[in-house]
Amino acid sequence: MSDFATQQHGRVWSGIWPILAFGATALAVGVALPKIIVSTLVLTLLMQAAANAILATSVGFLFRQNGLTSFGQAAWFGLSAYIIAVNSRFGFVGAEAGVVLAVLAPPLIAFAFGLIIVRLPHLAYSMLTLAIAQGFYEFFAKWREIANGDDGLEIKFPKKIFGVDTILFQQQRSMVVVVWSVLVLILLFYALMARSHFGLLTRAIRENEERARFVGYETLVPRALINALAALIASLAGVLFAFYNGFVTPSILHWSLSGEALIMAFIGGPRAICGPALGAAIFFVLKDMAGDYTEHWPGIVGAMLMTVTVLIPNGIAPSLAVALRRVTIGGAR
Amino acid sequence: MTGEILSARHMTRRYGGFIAVDDVLLEVTQGEIRGLIGPNGAGKTTLMDMICGRGGGHSKGEVTLRGRRIDGLDVRMRRKAGLGRSFQKTNIFPDLTILEQLMLAARATGTDDAAEVMEALQIAALAGWRAGDVSYGDQRRVDLALALTGRPPVVLLDEPAAGLSIGESLALSALLKDLARRWGVTVLIVEHDMDIIFSICDRITVMQLGKILTTGTSDEIRTNPDVVRAYLGSAAT
Repeated sequence: MSDFATQQHGRVWSGIWPILAFGATALAVGVALPKIIVSTLVLTLLMQAAANAILATSVGFLFRQNGLTSFGQAAWFGLSAYIIAVNSRFGFVGAEAGVVLAVLAPPLIAFAFGLIIVRLPHLAYSMLTLAIAQGFYEFFAKWREIANGDDGLEIKFPKKIFGVDTILFQQQRSMVVVVWSVLVLILLFYALMARSHFGLLTRAIRENEERARFVGYETLVPRALINALAALIASLAGVLFAFYNGFVTPSILHWSLSGEALIMAFIGGPRAICGPALGAAIFFVLKDMAGDYTEHWPGIVGAMLMTVTVLIPNGIAPSLAVALRRVTIGGAR
Repeated sequence: MTGEILSARHMTRRYGGFIAVDDVLLEVTQGEIRGLIGPNGAGKTTLMDMICGRGGGHSKGEVTLRGRRIDGLDVRMRRKAGLGRSFQKTNIFPDLTILEQLMLAARATGTDDAAEVMEALQIAALAGWRAGDVSYGDQRRVDLALALTGRPPVVLLDEPAAGLSIGESLALSALLKDLARRWGVTVLIVEHDMDIIFSICDRITVMQLGKILTTGTSDEIRTNPDVVRAYLGSAAT
């Protein structure tokens, strides 16, 4: 390795420590959450926000690394939850194997779809993701013998799963720690991946796919892999939802859930790693506050989305980062 | 200069009834800087696209690089075989820093010469800058750097001086000549700036209406009445 390469290697590793430190702190905060927050309502809201933050992060991840907007990310969220539910009904495989299948099947399917649809123009890709998600929605909504149609399916868990009492996944105080920790670990993985060669390569392909080929890279498989990784993130959110809720309906595959995740990602800033998670937090706070005053709260969320899109098109997180940097630099002077 | 390093034979590309490149034979000798000139629509960029595997139209022809047939390979594999390319319209990764994109290019070629290429193209001071934020002239250099990273034996440069000022063009041409000599890179360059072509090229091939009109040294081309009539006009003097 040349001196320059060694120097760059060192630079990359030195940048990783702050990320790991931030992640460790965030995990510690998560463990402390049930002790700090007394209100069950706040804990429930926080847990829902964290679960939705995972789904929104999957939308942002796809946008940042592939430059593509999914109108159907709920497909992978809902599919994973339904795999657990259908498996609990028919007992095809053991509960643990069902969970593993629920995590892995959506990304594998997304990879296969990705090999075809990521080649398409942006709008065609978006419309196809919508079509795929609505396809899954119709499948589970109509096929009563498998998924009990619109009435949904109750999930029966064994007492223990992976050696852990299942009841822990259904109590706010323990589940908030699990969901928060999964969110933090996903963001950590995302931040580290973004700094890796693969992260850089996929951003390069997003920027200029033809140039990436002329530089010597294959471009289809990395793009399909990003599609699959985004589906993996969404499927983790789906598994957590299935554990906590213990009940699934076709609404978890509906385009309106994909749309909400998209709104969260774009309010927070889809190109910032923590942007979609921040967007999810803002969305839930706004929904809760506005919901106290009017049942037409979606109008307020819509107005906010329009305001953010017009005034800060990159989203809130990047603008916050710029403001923080100014304050820090100003303070340092 | 030694033997032939790049040859393109029977190169033909049609777009419907229009023949953009018509049974062209182009042979480039190792170590030379070969200019490819001609009026707009002569087929220069199309020929370059065909050599490096860029799609479009109905194409046929044989491309051999260092004795190996590469016309069955895609763009990526031709790059790996040793064919670099820069573009008429700047073709870089605007959101990546200059360093990031050259590190990527170096890794694709299995080398770690990103720093050396940046130094050579005088963009090392801008390594940490987003490529989209630097001047147009520097973006042209980044485009060239992407083509030259890994020191491919042959580079195809499509109007590298397009849009540059006279001063920038002269500096770039001197740099190109120096790099080609120092690194032993064979260059095929399309350029409309005749000062650059006449000052750096060992031989020049002239195209007209999809065919090769002639090939020769700068002096031969300048004094060729067919070339003067078809393309050079007053630029020959």
